[in-house]
Amino acid sequence: MTDRPARGDDGLDRFRDLTNTKDPKLRDELITSHLGLAHQLARRFTGRGESHDDLVQVASIALVKAVDRFDPERGVQFSTFAATCVIGELKRHFRDRGWAVRAPRRIQELYLEVGQNIDRLSQELGHPPTVPELAAAIGTTEDAVLEAIEAGRGYRTASLDAPDANSQTMGDSLGSEDLRFGHVDDRSVLATALEALPERDQVIIRLRFIDGLTQSEIASRLGVSQMHISRLLAASLQQLRASFADDPQPLDA
Amino acid sequence: MNDHDDQASADRPEVITLSFPARADLVVLARFTAATLGSRAGFDVEEIEDLRLAVDELVVSFEAVQAGGTVQLRCTQSGGEVLIECTVEPGANGDSRQGIAGGELWGADGELSKQLLDALVDQHGREHRDGGPCVWLRKHRAHSGR
Repeated sequence: MTDRPARGDDGLDRFRDLTNTKDPKLRDELITSHLGLAHQLARRFTGRGESHDDLVQVASIALVKAVDRFDPERGVQFSTFAATCVIGELKRHFRDRGWAVRAPRRIQELYLEVGQNIDRLSQELGHPPTVPELAAAIGTTEDAVLEAIEAGRGYRTASLDAPDANSQTMGDSLGSEDLRFGHVDDRSVLATALEALPERDQVIIRLRFIDGLTQSEIASRLGVSQMHISRLLAASLQQLRASFADDPQPLDA
Repeated sequence: MNDHDDQASADRPEVITLSFPARADLVVLARFTAATLGSRAGFDVEEIEDLRLAVDELVVSFEAVQAGGTVQLRCTQSGGEVLIECTVEPGANGDSRQGIAGGELWGADGELSKQLLDALVDQHGREHRDGGPCVWLRKHRAHSGR
């Protein structure tokens, strides 16, 4: 597989041939020769709560549609046309599949934008951004940013096994953490309560509430975004509460 | 409004009071209010996220949450600090198991909530006010220059 079209000029001549002949072999070749673009764009959306494999699949299907719909006489390079189609399909995928609670489209898109800008501004500013800083960077209002942050609770918590851009899962990062809590003599109620959670969720809760790391520090350690950690923390605490609601045993029993 | 008025306005505490039925799906109102005041206090997004988690904890862990009860929330922002005080008026039937899910169980002895809030805010506590229990938290922004 190659990232480059077979000829110069973005392979426009070959697309003209395809338009004229409808040759299925040529169609397959054009799809295959541009699959690298689909992979590249899928990588840009990785780490936002959807599995990389799913994103590649969505991007690849969008590429196939782009090959079928491309009109070489419009004066646009295929790569430009295809990138627009693939990115649009990936955004739709996030809108339609990534939300457990359906939020308005503008809020869903803003939420993704807020997440990207938090990570970027944190690096540029040397500290997590404030809401006014985020609003200015995105070009929206502070109220809208706050609304998007709150709406993030409706976003599905990503699987810990969803690979990130480096093809390493968050579970891999967690693998290096001590899951047994044996390195400190921690007999706190929280440490005991954590047994109700999957081991990997225990690690994140421990890093935040027992070891005292910030969300950004945990995110950096595990190679994911701060908003991702925020979602996981909220979901884990909710799960803990639910487990206690179902089992009213004293915590120290 | 001149600069002097702006400064006076900025120094004046902002107080928001909320009253809503003690139901888990309405805690969003408390979170959103707290986040808004946190933003006005100059909190960064991470401090706001911690504040939102703490508000969840504050409301959900309240032992007095009761079916049909009403959460009374008083949120104050002043000088880069947010103070949130929460009381709950009991419901008519007094069934303490039907309010916000897991409330009294989650904090059977308060220790678990205490440990979580320790990590999320600067100060928190429980006390009796006006004849009823009140839980509160206080969080101030880490950096003064924002």
